Amino acid sequence: MQTFLDLLSVLILISAFILTATKRINSYIKAFQLQSFLLFLATFTLGIYNFTTKGFLDIFILSIIIFVLKVIYIPRLLHNTYNRVAYKVEKDFFINIPSSILICAALVILTYYSLYSLDGALNIHIKFNLVNSLSVVLIGLFFMISRKKAIGQIVGFLVLENGMFTTAMLSAQGMPIIVDLGILVDLLTAVMIMGMLVFKINESFDSINIERLRNLRG
Amino acid sequence: MKLLLYVFMQLVLVLLLAPLVDGIIKKIKAFSQKRKGPPLTQMYFDLYKLMKKDTVVSETASWVFRTAPYITFISTLLAFMFFPATVILHSISFQGDIILAIYLLGIGRFFMVLAGLDTGSTFGGMGSSREVMIAALIEPALIVVLITLGLIAGSTSIYDIMLLNLQGNSFILNPYSILLFAAIFLILLAETARIPVDDPSTHLELTMIHEAMLLEYSGKHLALMELASVIKQLLFITILANFFLPTGWLGSQATPMLSFLLALITYFFKVVCIALLIAIAEISTVKLRFFSVPNLAAISFALAFLGFMQFIILGR
Repeated sequence: MQTFLDLLSVLILISAFILTATKRINSYIKAFQLQSFLLFLATFTLGIYNFTTKGFLDIFILSIIIFVLKVIYIPRLLHNTYNRVAYKVEKDFFINIPSSILICAALVILTYYSLYSLDGALNIHIKFNLVNSLSVVLIGLFFMISRKKAIGQIVGFLVLENGMFTTAMLSAQGMPIIVDLGILVDLLTAVMIMGMLVFKINESFDSINIERLRNLRG
Repeated sequence: MKLLLYVFMQLVLVLLLAPLVDGIIKKIKAFSQKRKGPPLTQMYFDLYKLMKKDTVVSETASWVFRTAPYITFISTLLAFMFFPATVILHSISFQGDIILAIYLLGIGRFFMVLAGLDTGSTFGGMGSSREVMIAALIEPALIVVLITLGLIAGSTSIYDIMLLNLQGNSFILNPYSILLFAAIFLILLAETARIPVDDPSTHLELTMIHEAMLLEYSGKHLALMELASVIKQLLFITILANFFLPTGWLGSQATPMLSFLLALITYFFKVVCIALLIAIAEISTVKLRFFSVPNLAAISFALAFLGFMQFIILGR
């Protein structure tokens, strides 16, 4: 099972890389969906494992909630937003794709070296998963600042949150369920509000390019 | 004496198998488009016919143009000699031969590029400059992958890496091997002029890369060049099959002949699996714009590099 979880943490990292390599808003959403599905698989495995060995059911329930929320509902919400705004392809980045991928690789090294001194009682697999999932957090953050369109930034935020969730799941076997549920509800509201904001921005500026927001200053 | 026999067997195997694998990929693609496609043996017929034909050489061409096919063919074939198809065909190997093999391919590519430039035709020059650009973009990823494989096996000899993989503790089960596998797969697509980078089936002037360099060749020279490119393809497929996919029949003392045959059959089966993967990749993607190729190269480099990092973190 440990190998499977290691594999999933690597794949989650890869899906973050796939996200930075894409430039269509459609494929952002697909990459996010893929990542959430992998996260669901990891949580599901842990949930089953916890249920059979310790009799806890909470991680299993959490995995079902993740599946419904992150794999089905939020991508659909994003698709609705995306269908109503005019822009399909993101043409202008702050940084082009090859160099942003290389920067992400550098972020992984950064995470590795910052966690390198954390020896202590950490077992090697936990360290491995910690490096991967914290890199996902940083990549999500980087994605948020490297895209100009509002939907890209929402997806970046979601990936960041996925990364934090993976960190909690794979290195600490999950947080208490009340904390997780709280975070998920927060996330849902945040995405809904941001979706509304995107509509508003699109209505008043005819574009979801956030650089245009500065026009207000006159 | 036994060594010579093994070299000879490997040689025959490559020359027989390489065109067949190309045929298999073409056939799978044809099936996906509901065509019947050319027969599996089509490439042998083509090569046979090309061998019989006269070669036409441009008046302005120098000796480079005439010798390039031989050099490319021989260096590619020599590079393949370091990659035994099965464990038993182990003939020549020494430390560092994986790097030698890759740069032997580099010599072949260098002469192919020179030949494209030599006749002074516009397409040749264009194809050559594109080929060199792709080669320069892809090479870092390839070297990182090879170094990581070397670190895993504790040896830079192809035979040692292959033996470690086939002996049971298969690479593909490790989390980082998936990354290396994906990186080599992308490198394969770029190196052998497959679809996201170059379309092997059309001769459209604006997009072709590999074919543009071979445009001036005819007859025997063309046959050698085509054979060299399919051998190169089989070489990369062999890397994937023998370094990553599990199970190869190691030779048992009692029945060497039978275990050899079994090993060959497994090898062939693994090659067909990889060919299927290539065909699926070709069917499901479109050709990239030429200036998007750096993205692909960056992805393959990132994959290779991540594989390296994960290996460093997890240890052996």
